Amino acid sequence: MSVRPVAHHARVVGQFFDVRAIEQELAELRWRLLPDGALGGEAAEHAAAEARASTLNLVAVARTSKEEHRVSHTLERMSVHHPSRTLILLAQEDRHSPKLEATVSAFTDMVGSRLVANEQVLLHAHGQVAEHLASIVAPLLVPDLPVMLWWPGRPHFKGRLFNELADLCDRLIIDSDDEFDPSKDLGPLLHVAKRRTAQIAVGDFNWARLLPWRQVTAQFFDPPAVRAQLRAIHVVEAWSGASGSDAQARLICGWIQSRLARIDVKVERVLRENPEVGPGLCRLNLKGDGEGTRFTITGKPNECLATDMELDGKAYPERTVRIATRDPADLLAVEMVETGHDPVYEEALAAASQ
Amino acid sequence: MAQAPPLTHNVLREGLALARTPDPNVMVIFGASGDLTARKLMPALYNLALNRYLPAGFSVVGCANTVWSDDEFRKVMRTAVEKNSRTQPIDDAVWDSFAEGLHYVPMGFDDQAAYERLGTRLAQLDQERGTAGNRVFYMATLSQFFSVIAGRLGAAGLVKKPEGWERVVVEKPFGRDLPSAQALNRELHAVFAEPQIYRIDHYLGKETVQNVMVFRFANGIFEPIWNRRYVDHVQITVAEDIGIERRGPYYDRAGAMRDIVQNHLLQLLSIVAMEGPANFQAETVRDEKVKVLRSIRPMDADKELVRGQYGPGWVAGEAVAGYRQEDRVASDSTTETYVAMKLAIDNWRWADTPFYLRTGKRLPKRASEIAIQFKRAPHLPFAKTVVEGLSANVLVMRIQPHEGASLKIAAKVPGPTMRMRTVNMDFFYGSSFLVESPDAYERLVLDCMLGDPTLFAREDEVEHAWALVDRAEATWQEQPPPAFPSYAAGTWGPEAADALIERDGRRWRRP
Repeated sequence: MSVRPVAHHARVVGQFFDVRAIEQELAELRWRLLPDGALGGEAAEHAAAEARASTLNLVAVARTSKEEHRVSHTLERMSVHHPSRTLILLAQEDRHSPKLEATVSAFTDMVGSRLVANEQVLLHAHGQVAEHLASIVAPLLVPDLPVMLWWPGRPHFKGRLFNELADLCDRLIIDSDDEFDPSKDLGPLLHVAKRRTAQIAVGDFNWARLLPWRQVTAQFFDPPAVRAQLRAIHVVEAWSGASGSDAQARLICGWIQSRLARIDVKVERVLRENPEVGPGLCRLNLKGDGEGTRFTITGKPNECLATDMELDGKAYPERTVRIATRDPADLLAVEMVETGHDPVYEEALAAASQ
Repeated sequence: MAQAPPLTHNVLREGLALARTPDPNVMVIFGASGDLTARKLMPALYNLALNRYLPAGFSVVGCANTVWSDDEFRKVMRTAVEKNSRTQPIDDAVWDSFAEGLHYVPMGFDDQAAYERLGTRLAQLDQERGTAGNRVFYMATLSQFFSVIAGRLGAAGLVKKPEGWERVVVEKPFGRDLPSAQALNRELHAVFAEPQIYRIDHYLGKETVQNVMVFRFANGIFEPIWNRRYVDHVQITVAEDIGIERRGPYYDRAGAMRDIVQNHLLQLLSIVAMEGPANFQAETVRDEKVKVLRSIRPMDADKELVRGQYGPGWVAGEAVAGYRQEDRVASDSTTETYVAMKLAIDNWRWADTPFYLRTGKRLPKRASEIAIQFKRAPHLPFAKTVVEGLSANVLVMRIQPHEGASLKIAAKVPGPTMRMRTVNMDFFYGSSFLVESPDAYERLVLDCMLGDPTLFAREDEVEHAWALVDRAEATWQEQPPPAFPSYAAGTWGPEAADALIERDGRRWRRP
């Protein structure tokens, strides 16, 4: 599939700008994006409306220009899987020179033989306005489509901006490996999903990173003959690379603990470190009854997992499977497909934050 | 303390996309040195392994005439996967682990002693790799070997074993007419029970074909208008721009009727026309599909059936040969490369709503689609000049390329005067879903290992489809030889096909 970004930028600047001016600008941009001479005026307007991808709204929050660049870069890498409308908020409450600026851009991609238009609004605010950006976000959302809130880094769970945006959104996407203190911050994250009003589902890049680990772990117990071993699991050990967060290890242990709790099996969690490998989960071991029963998954340097299992002292063939490298653009794409609450994640989070 | 009840399901599976991985098993591929294995089967298996869908211990035993060692087989398969896999480049670690399970037994398909050797090898694999007697026998050979292989497998005691399950996958063509399909069914049934037989039609593995069912039965707004009251007619098109490639000898015996109509087109028809099943279990779905086939009224061959054959012409800026000039095709061949037909389905839902089906080679473009043409609005309160050129609503489900759906609706052109234009509301898989679709073979092979035959053709489906094809072929036998070629390559088929639909005051869509 060929991708041909045709970017058109426009800038609406001003302290008292009108939200309608932004909408107007976007509509005109969509119109201008059509190939020259393809259609006459009115028909072009129809086609422009038709060409907009109809998937979702994305609101991304950045606190510094550097973070904003990182966000924009990730979004560019998402290729044809763009949301219909992206609002990037560069919210800097702590800067006092008053500022509210909107930059509007639209660009197209070829999807098959059709042009699909995507729109982006960058809102840059200082001071008090920055805390109230939700009031500008609300009227700019494309109606009837889900709203995703992507918050790189650790959100200020008690902050006004976070809570007002959370009220507008259907899903919060974070990365619990990024700025999170796993021993303290997983609890508040769970509270977001369990808010009393305007509950918002939580998506975590780490949950997507752990998907292959979860699948491979579950596969051990698919054959009916092995399934009974689930009742005998009593220890789960998870190794984290030396430098970095152990959030993944906590989450996967929480996942095993919470799943097995459903069949009244209590599992002890042991968090370990392996100083020789890079950050992230690198090994998982489930211990069954006696010495001769274990289920082990080991991360390999070339983006693979090796699984092996021993039942009553008998070793079974080792198997290697791939874990695709996931850069932030991929992880974001994965998380944006989901819209509802993921109870399995929430239960894992609850167990992990204990 | 009382013993805890056995676990009915794997609690770790909760919330994971795939309900379960198949039991450890061995797939025995007959025809392992052939084109299908290299082009489709092995890449599908590798991609399943890559995406962690295969169980630990999964193994393959390739069987064919070629004399290869295990290592030679692995090398050839590696090259095939490098060439044909949808994911690139090949992941060495995954391949190495997957290739450890690849084995090869050279054999002539009618050599009974070879099946004994195969049995020994399989028993050995059960020991080494924990495959517990579970087998998929995949017939990727020429069709004349299907019943031979089944018979030999039975005689060698490889099918009714005390341990594990066995399934057999049968490739197309499943027979070449009703009697031969029935004979093949009988020969397979001598060894396998019907639930063990998986007749493959790769169209059913396509995402969009499955999506037709989702579209119809997961949305509340379409089913109420999915009937003769609102639908004027239905057009199903499977158009190919390619010729017959190197399949001359096969194609010249088969023709478009056997190659496409008997399987793909009639499968699409059944899925579009079927009643809503009570659930998505294999037998329930296939029962409903068979009811459609049973309700098809025999055609009036003079008016409702057209065949054609391409002559030389131009496709996509390239001069191409006519069918009779193709490699290994007789210069006076009367094999059809194009079929158009009008079918009536005699039931309450579809009475008087015709289904127009067409398929052909060397048409202007590759396009498979199902178009539901709705009736016009019963009364248009607008001036005649305003509504001229306005077409009725059409819902198109595109199967390939650009998978998706579109709905044609009338809309007012903005401006002070009342002008209308037909516009398309489009839905593309590509812009709505973020995942790449798997190949049809991946889905089907996995379903077979999981024991789910929903997307495979059942005995009675195949036989009903052949009965229809046989009736058509019989009338052609009685007619004088057709004046072929009847359409130029790169055009939308013979004029007679246009006449077939225009007689009813309708036109073929341009896909």
